[in-house]
Amino acid sequence: MRKKLLVPAMLIFALSGGIFCSKSGNDSNGPVTGNGFDKTAMLTYYADQLIIPGYASLLEKANNFQTLSNTFLAARTPSNQQALLEAYKQLHLQYTRIEGFNLGPAVVAALESYVNFNGGLDYSFATSGELTGFSIDSTTIENNITSGTYNLTLFVRSSFYAQGFSAVNYLFFGPNAIEKFAANTTNRVKYANDVVSRIKLLVDQINASWTSYRANFIGNTKTDVGSPIGNIINNMAYQLDVLKGPRIGWPFGKQSNNTAFPTKVEAYFAGNSAALAQENIRNLKKIFTANDSGKGLYDYLKALNKETLANQVKSQFDVVIAKLEALPDPLSKTISTEPQKVDEAYKEIQKLLTLIKTDVSSATGVQITFMDNDGD
Amino acid sequence: MFPQPPAFKLHSWTMMAINRYSLQKPVSIAPLISFRIAFGLLMFFSLVRFWWRGWIDTVYVQPKFHFTYWGFEWVKPFGSTGMHVVVAIVVLSTLLIVLGLFYRMATIVFFIGFTYLELIDVTTYLNHYYFISLVAFIMIWLPAGRNYAVDICLNPAKKSTLVPVWTIGIICFQLAVVYIFAGLAKLNADWLLRAEPMRTWLPAKTHLPIVGQYLYQPWVAYLFSWFGAAYDLFIVFFMLNKKTRPVAYCFVIVFHIATAIFFPGIGMFPYVMIVSSLIFFSGSFHEKLLSFFPFYKAQSKTRTSNESIYQYANQRIINFLLVLYIFVQIMIPLRFLLYPDHLFWSEEGYRFSWRVMLMEKSGAAYFTVKDKSTHQSMEVNNAAFLTPLQEKMMSTQPDLILKYAHLLADAYKKREMINPEVYAEVYVVLNGDPSRLLIDSTVNLAAEPLSWKHYTWILPYKKR
Repeated sequence: MRKKLLVPAMLIFALSGGIFCSKSGNDSNGPVTGNGFDKTAMLTYYADQLIIPGYASLLEKANNFQTLSNTFLAARTPSNQQALLEAYKQLHLQYTRIEGFNLGPAVVAALESYVNFNGGLDYSFATSGELTGFSIDSTTIENNITSGTYNLTLFVRSSFYAQGFSAVNYLFFGPNAIEKFAANTTNRVKYANDVVSRIKLLVDQINASWTSYRANFIGNTKTDVGSPIGNIINNMAYQLDVLKGPRIGWPFGKQSNNTAFPTKVEAYFAGNSAALAQENIRNLKKIFTANDSGKGLYDYLKALNKETLANQVKSQFDVVIAKLEALPDPLSKTISTEPQKVDEAYKEIQKLLTLIKTDVSSATGVQITFMDNDGD
Repeated sequence: MFPQPPAFKLHSWTMMAINRYSLQKPVSIAPLISFRIAFGLLMFFSLVRFWWRGWIDTVYVQPKFHFTYWGFEWVKPFGSTGMHVVVAIVVLSTLLIVLGLFYRMATIVFFIGFTYLELIDVTTYLNHYYFISLVAFIMIWLPAGRNYAVDICLNPAKKSTLVPVWTIGIICFQLAVVYIFAGLAKLNADWLLRAEPMRTWLPAKTHLPIVGQYLYQPWVAYLFSWFGAAYDLFIVFFMLNKKTRPVAYCFVIVFHIATAIFFPGIGMFPYVMIVSSLIFFSGSFHEKLLSFFPFYKAQSKTRTSNESIYQYANQRIINFLLVLYIFVQIMIPLRFLLYPDHLFWSEEGYRFSWRVMLMEKSGAAYFTVKDKSTHQSMEVNNAAFLTPLQEKMMSTQPDLILKYAHLLADAYKKREMINPEVYAEVYVVLNGDPSRLLIDSTVNLAAEPLSWKHYTWILPYKKR
């Protein structure tokens, strides 16, 4: 009997030997063999080619925006306003290029909530009065200016809606923005300054954190909840959810029996919502393909013998990009003038979202949930 | 892979169904005592961990809606304070079980408390939670507090050193049910011939040094699959046999630790099985084990008149209940045979059947609520109704999809829709097949009743 047990016993002990060693050994990654895939190389590419340069550029654009904002606040002329609008558009576009990497330092800083709050996915677009999606909360902003007492670091919805890009839209590019500075000028200028400084501060902080965070990021090739790969795939699904919801679908009226909410599109007053959505999806594709460097999720799927899926996702990205590029700015008008085109884009976004949420997450062993849980 | 041992001896629990008298054979109480202590401690740490991770809040307090079990719709959670108090009481009961203080009361409180927590929401269903509830129920009836317990210090007259063998056998039976049904469930084409879902899960673990680099290889997935199936099917028999038991227990430890490392989110299950499997060891082994504990007085090996045998008042009723329990435990996992089509796809008869880590399934569900009379049509934002965990669980399980559809119909009625119809486009990936529709998206789910019968609106599963 003992002899008969010997073979399976040896097998499992040989295996377990490896497992136990793994627990004590350091977490270095061995050479990749066979049809394996170098996950470290993928993460290194993301860190060094997309994330770190992305934040450096974001910081640069935030600095430029602050300079022009100072100029405008000192001399509030239409031409200064126009220059500032251009700088803002560049800043926001750059933001969409890194928002697919909402992980690590960006989460610590709560960048998305403070800078480009989308209202959260768990809020319904049922009534127009509520602050949902990319609403602009002019009431709170005006109250803050009048009272002069506010705390922009508060982690609550009313605080998110009173700062970041939505506040920039209202203060600098809203209706009669220049004229409004005539009343209560000191407070209004101070508030505008505080909003701009806070954006810069947060970007500065994240940019600096990546220097030390980089090693954690590329050194962790796990796929569990909170791991870099888990985060990237979850974020891709999340960004598509935001696109399907607050960015396009909900202002379009998908939740509200086709009652549109034109003022709830992203960057309503700057009027470049469609451009932002297009840049967002183009960058998600860049993350997926890693710019065709052979180091992206696309290549990881291929290494997992999921070539059909990899190509399906890639071409669906192209379909979504084309459908979104067919939507002209301002999106707030397009949603009522071209409902057919918006609806087509919406449907294609949903197809892509389904692929990421089901096929891709399944193939990569990543759980799509922002919740850690017990399981068996 | 496991040959049947030639000199295989039937253990007493298999005998008990045949021979009513062997059921009463007195054996040492020691296995029950160490089981009580180990189980109590494990439950203590398990619940403290649950609390510490903030799951009381995310699982019981945050959801606005709960997926109830059929017949248990009346089970409702309390508020945040209430739920914390409930868990605190259950945690306290685990300590009382360990100490053997007010044992009967403590096991009743633990069973009711723990089962209450599990009945609140179907989306929290886990096989090992179900196992814990069953064991807790069994423990109420067992004399596991009759020795080495505070109760006995307070009332020495209640001390027992011998118990009827079935009191230990019933726990062995429960473990055998878990393992053997888990093993039988693995005997399917995906598991054995395609090595799915191991083939999907293993490449996610390539960060492990040494073994990591091999996890992309299909043969490793086949090895894991076949070994896992053989382990589940046969481990109980090797644990029952005295000669193979020590080696088999090493397998138990290694196997479950391996599952903890290689499987996505398996939670406490491996540890529950490692600890529970100790029950297979003999009385003398447990005597030795307990002799390391403080204040434990070893029993003399030869039976003397000092030995006190625990006896049940009405053994005939106990016998009847035992047979009934065993019958029910064997029938429940087999009920899936009454349903047509592929079990993994429709999941009719899937729960309470020891199907642990058996498939890779994920889904995306999009709901639309329409009103024909007013021509309204609205897409549903699932996140506004469900937590991420609830949404994830609902997206792949047809009965939960139906329950959610009914909730939506009610919710939209309150929003002044006269006759809401609910339609769902649900895409599901099963064991690496491309995603496709799980249910008929043209069926108004609001009009479909909950039923034990097969849901005809589930689309047929087609092999790829």
